[in-house]
Amino acid sequence: MSLSLTYQHVNKIFGEQSKNPVHALKDVSFTIEPGELFCLLGPSGCGKTTLLRSTAGLESITSGQILYGKTDITAIPPFRRNIGMVFQSFALYPHMNIFENVAYGLRVRKTAEDVIKRKVTEVMELVGLTEELKRNPSPTGLSGGQQQRVAIARALVYDPDILLLDEPLANLDAKLRRYMRAEIRRIQKATGITTIFVTHDQEEAMAIGDRLAVLRRGVVEQIGSSNELYTCPNSAFVSNFIGKMNFFASKATGEQSAIIDTTAIEIPVKEEKVRMKSRARAGAGVLVGARPEQMEVVTTASGDTIEGTVQIIQHLGQVVRYEVVIDSAISDVPLEIDMPCMLEGVQERGRVYVRLKEGLPFLFEVEERN
Amino acid sequence: MKANTSLGEVVKKDITPYLVFAIPLAFMAIFLIYPMFITLARAFMPAGNKLLFGQFSLSGFTKFAESAMYKKALINSFIVSLAVTGFCIVIGVPMGYFVARVKMPGKNLMLSLGILPIIMPSFVGAFTWVILLGRQGVVRHFLNVLLGPLGISVPTIYGMFGMILCMTLTYYPFVFQLSYGAFASANSLLEEAGMLMGASRWYIFRTITFPLILPSLGAGALLVFVRAIGNFGIPAIIGGDKYVLPTLIYFRVNGFWDLNGAASIAVINVMITALVLYLQKRVINRHEYETISATHSEIKQHEGLAIRIIAIVYCLLILVVSLLPQITIIVMSFYEKWVGLFPEGFTLRNYARIPVYSKKELFNTFYLSILATFLAAILGSLIAYITERKKPKGAALLDLSIMAPFILPGTVVSVSLLSAFSGASVIALGGTYTIIVISYMIRRTPYVYRSVAASLSQLNPSLEEASTIAGANWFYTFRRVSVPLIMPAIIGGSILTLTTLLQELSTTILLYSSKTRTVPIQIYGAVADGKLGEASALSVVLLVVVFVIVYAMNRRQGKSIASSFKMG
Repeated sequence: MSLSLTYQHVNKIFGEQSKNPVHALKDVSFTIEPGELFCLLGPSGCGKTTLLRSTAGLESITSGQILYGKTDITAIPPFRRNIGMVFQSFALYPHMNIFENVAYGLRVRKTAEDVIKRKVTEVMELVGLTEELKRNPSPTGLSGGQQQRVAIARALVYDPDILLLDEPLANLDAKLRRYMRAEIRRIQKATGITTIFVTHDQEEAMAIGDRLAVLRRGVVEQIGSSNELYTCPNSAFVSNFIGKMNFFASKATGEQSAIIDTTAIEIPVKEEKVRMKSRARAGAGVLVGARPEQMEVVTTASGDTIEGTVQIIQHLGQVVRYEVVIDSAISDVPLEIDMPCMLEGVQERGRVYVRLKEGLPFLFEVEERN
Repeated sequence: MKANTSLGEVVKKDITPYLVFAIPLAFMAIFLIYPMFITLARAFMPAGNKLLFGQFSLSGFTKFAESAMYKKALINSFIVSLAVTGFCIVIGVPMGYFVARVKMPGKNLMLSLGILPIIMPSFVGAFTWVILLGRQGVVRHFLNVLLGPLGISVPTIYGMFGMILCMTLTYYPFVFQLSYGAFASANSLLEEAGMLMGASRWYIFRTITFPLILPSLGAGALLVFVRAIGNFGIPAIIGGDKYVLPTLIYFRVNGFWDLNGAASIAVINVMITALVLYLQKRVINRHEYETISATHSEIKQHEGLAIRIIAIVYCLLILVVSLLPQITIIVMSFYEKWVGLFPEGFTLRNYARIPVYSKKELFNTFYLSILATFLAAILGSLIAYITERKKPKGAALLDLSIMAPFILPGTVVSVSLLSAFSGASVIALGGTYTIIVISYMIRRTPYVYRSVAASLSQLNPSLEEASTIAGANWFYTFRRVSVPLIMPAIIGGSILTLTTLLQELSTTILLYSSKTRTVPIQIYGAVADGKLGEASALSVVLLVVVFVIVYAMNRRQGKSIASSFKMG
């Protein structure tokens, strides 16, 4: 069984001596539990790949420690760390057949020939490539999904302590991607190896991970299960990265209420929906947030509605999404609102009114947009 | 705690790569940088071969203003190199366009035959032109009979006309092959878009096609210029009393043992080349474009009868003229002499004499070339690996210094090695096999280096990282992953190195001793003695060996050899 993996105040600065150093990881500290499938999620350039490569030892960190169990592995070179890694490009060796590709880590470890044979067969069975192993072609002759499985088998065959997956599904088509993410979860649970999965696709992360860490500009914004991140986002950024969130520029009127700018609509916010780092002072600028399903589009004005123009209507199956442009002083991007069915008499470029459903809105601190 | 980790780091760090990398870097420092430095120092010393530090003198340079011979050599070098570059473009670009864009039979054959002039030693081309256009030359004789009544007399091959003709016919393939590649691989959608917008064919050629091939054309022209200004063999054989810089260097060293004077000329020679390289980079960099398209469709070819006839006649004419030397030496090698219209005295003696008179030279040529190729392959691959993978701080400098010999004339490399290692120097190498092997390595390592560096930059680093993650140390990864994957590039670069070394003259001519004579030296000597039959037979042997190697490589790799000569 794998042990836990702990990051303690990890900092990484690229080009420390140069004129414009890049602070890629800022004081990252958290722990991944033994046997957990942990997702690192964030927009490109957020530092997730740097954190993964630092874990592997392919990048050295500027300060801080990385612990495996209680052992400090920060200074251990990558080839002594006993880690398995699957690369975005798969990095299979075109000059070796698939057996030799998978056996590579065992040959490095000078494993006996009969053990190699047995272990490769076992791991290929686990990833579902028994038939291909019999033909034993070069990896270039395999499909994308099969190459992916070989790459996973190669990373698992020598029983690594940690498994790292760097955007492993990015090179597959949409259908295969959905299938392989279930496969990866099955294989990970079968082996029980502590695993880190890096992706920029929030749907993928929510589907696959036991827990997720959302990174932004080298800082861990929030860690939690998919459900925690969706229902209790800590910041406007996380709320809009995990799912969609509409924001309304507002002024706080108390710790749990705010009035939307340029209107007289006062929104009361439930205690657990206040996601501020510090208490809001009356009069301070804040953001009221509501997810698409927490709003509604109506055709008649009333005291709690905001006037707007429908830009696009998309029928998505279970819901109909309305994109509505409102006063840019409140929101400079169109609102996205999901309604259970098409509204009679509402057309694109038509006038509508939008309302925030009672008791559901969030309250966030104002933050600069990414 | 703190001290503990840093100690751990030292112990656990894999130091093998640093040990391995130290060797090629030391080699470069001792045999390239140091000799260059000495040469530069010698250029500013009084004439002679003594290293006189502290005696600053500009006499080596002022000669270019004082001596008529120096002045003429400098002017001749300029005229020849510029003229050759110009003519190569004029001849090569239309041919490249025709073969790429006009429907005609035997395109592959034309491309293969079009390479022959560059793989044949250039001085061999020169002496066959002596047979054809010399004082008693076949073609000259014939043309004079034909044109005599009109009062036109064909000049002999000796002098400026001959040098320019010879070098043009030797080097036009660079421009032909590179512009062919550019014309053939250009994105046809760009031209079709122009056509849809109403542009005529000529307008499209002028505004779209031509600007897009400019970088390739610039590379080809630079290649021609660098070779032309550094060429020793052709002016040595048919220059007559017209000296150029490389022959002037040879004259200084061989006639007077004036290494310091030779160093001054070498510095001038290199400065001209560097200046041209700089100008080319400046012009071309402004015209370098990324191709912004994923799809590629076949280029439409001209099918009009008139243009097809013009194209075929043009290409055949150029090919026949440029291949005349090859045909001539094959014929010549079977005859005793060839003055007037027909060769006389069929014989096999020219070949029969080879084992008797040139056994040592044959052995030396293969021994030196193969050894130097093998070492250059290791050196070039390691340095390419360092600059591409380890990306050290001075990577650009390393790249520059390894590529420098690419533009250094062969005679300059010899002068620098002689400057540093002849006579009573700390490492005395004068007249040894070693100094020739080193000069070959210095001159040809860029071939392997370029080839391997290009291959490595295409190779995803994650292939190597995957091996490291799997637990392999640096050396294991290098051996099992990096080397097998870059092997084709190593072999490609090595074969190019080997074929050019087998015919090397301009470096060897200043470095050989009676013990280390090579076949090209022997041919050069035979030509000087007027033994054209013997020289031809030896040349045919060399030509066949080189052709077989190049043919085998083309079959294996299926790529144009001219593109391998390209730099940057």
